[in-house]
Amino acid sequence: MNLLTRILEQINLIGGVALFLIGLHTVVTHSNLIKKIMGLNIMGTGVFLFFVAIGNVEGGVPPILVDGNPLYINPVPSALILTGIVVSVSVTVYSLSLVVRIFQSYGTIDAAELAKKRSEVSEHD
Amino acid sequence: MIENLPILVVLAMVVFAVTIPFWKKLSFRFTLILGGIVLVSALVANVAIWNHVQANGEILFRFGGHLPFLGIEFKIDAFASMFSLFVATLSLLIYLYSSGDKTEGIEQPEFFRFYVLFFLMLFSMYGILFSNDIFNTYVFIEILSLTSCAIVSIKRKKEAYAAAFRYVMLNEIGSLSFLLGIAFLYMSTGRLNIDLLRDALHTGTIQANVWMAVAFFTAGLGLKAAVFPFHIWLPDAYASAPTTSSAMLSSIVSKMYLVILIKVYAKVFGFDLLKGSALSTLLLVLASLGMILGSVYALAQKDLKRMLGYSSVSQIGYVLLGIAFFSEAGLRSAFFHMISHGLTKAALFLAVGIVIYLKQSRSVKGFEGTGFQMPIAMSVFAVAAFSMIGIPLTSGFIAKWNLGIAAETASQFGFLVLIVVSSFLNAMYFLPILFTAFFKDPADGPQRAKPEKIPAPMLVSIGALAVMILLLGIFPDWLMTMIDVVLAGF
Repeated sequence: MNLLTRILEQINLIGGVALFLIGLHTVVTHSNLIKKIMGLNIMGTGVFLFFVAIGNVEGGVPPILVDGNPLYINPVPSALILTGIVVSVSVTVYSLSLVVRIFQSYGTIDAAELAKKRSEVSEHD
Repeated sequence: MIENLPILVVLAMVVFAVTIPFWKKLSFRFTLILGGIVLVSALVANVAIWNHVQANGEILFRFGGHLPFLGIEFKIDAFASMFSLFVATLSLLIYLYSSGDKTEGIEQPEFFRFYVLFFLMLFSMYGILFSNDIFNTYVFIEILSLTSCAIVSIKRKKEAYAAAFRYVMLNEIGSLSFLLGIAFLYMSTGRLNIDLLRDALHTGTIQANVWMAVAFFTAGLGLKAAVFPFHIWLPDAYASAPTTSSAMLSSIVSKMYLVILIKVYAKVFGFDLLKGSALSTLLLVLASLGMILGSVYALAQKDLKRMLGYSSVSQIGYVLLGIAFFSEAGLRSAFFHMISHGLTKAALFLAVGIVIYLKQSRSVKGFEGTGFQMPIAMSVFAVAAFSMIGIPLTSGFIAKWNLGIAAETASQFGFLVLIVVSSFLNAMYFLPILFTAFFKDPADGPQRAKPEKIPAPMLVSIGALAVMILLLGIFPDWLMTMIDVVLAGF
């Protein structure tokens, strides 16, 4: 029971790391380029969730100035992650545009087929 | 006034980058000259900053006047200043080269985009060097990795797209690992400022989280710097990029990630924390594998730019070896090797670029007789190749000598053997090229073996690089005193 409650208390952190690993697995093992990009996004989301979970304070209120002296949650990680999300969007856009170009020039978005076509080209040279 | 120079340098880069489309409307030539002025003034500013830092100590700049635990801080110490000087010098030379070259493989309408990326890249590198805030460093790293991927894919060639895709995927895994490392560090200390992090880590007990952070930083930065088992993206990316991009990537950008690695190890965690750990052994093993296997792979390459890429992998192994000793002698050799390799690899890539520019061929065979057709380019190539092998009177020799001293002070004599073996391997792939270039007639008959015309800026640029390599090899003392000033600040 003790272990279970500890896991439940830290569920956000564990979830963040789990998403990171799932995403990493997707990027590394899938040969579809779009799925690779999705994996990257899942990885990013995992890190963002982890970061935001660090800032949480048990029983805290959102960091908006109110009367009295309530316990605020830590706003810094959330603010940092806003930057992280912007970065992640731009990376996604850039890599998707690359996939478009790859599809236009090779006619495939599968990494294995791509490698085959590329080796054929280099033998031809 | 001088206190504000670092900010002005960073701002000048980003402002010029985003205004290039406007300048270009006036005239492309005008834009080129303006960019040259920006880079020259950045170099002058960096010299002034170095002198100021040496005389008056570090420059601190707090954005918005917030206290360090809340705000973002720029801190320019001798370490940052030395490397910003290095970046300013090399970027000026590469820029000069690019203005003469028709920036190989890039189509006319893309020229200005290339320069936008070039200056954004410089902006992020100065940011990385000056920033004293670890999350801010992450943001600059992301700008750097996006621009460096884009500068590969700017060439409208199929291979460039595929290489850039692989580059962006692995780069992004590296960045996210770095970010997760920051998260673990923030979790155990609640700080992002590097000085405050250091204080927090050195008081109180070290939690398991800190070791997780060390692991993620090492993996992330190792991926981005192409440390041996993570080098798979490097040869493709360097080989398919335009010449000037490959020179930028190999000589400056890959060094930036190593600079961050040193910053994290030495300034955040501190060497005394890491010295006894398994990390040192791990890095030593990776470094030695990289030194040997990088060269072995290079031997097998027919495409010259791929070969230079693999040789970069082995050279990064040398730098990592210096870092992995976690000692002052090790850092000294790592710094020297980074600067020496930056100059050497830039010279090699740019010299090969001249051959590609004239011959449209990049296989080793295409070098037949080039020694007579383009004597200056091939002499520079020869000097740089000698420096790579580590022949005395070149900077590479001093770099390897320092590395040997570092291995000896750590009483790890096995690494001396490794350095010698790796140098032999280097010789095995560079000397045949020189032989082909100088002692074989070109394929289309000896009568064609007369000097050909090369744009002057390209020759000036690679000539300056060769002179610097030789100067560093003959008079290494001035750089050594600079490095000693830097090491005193650690």
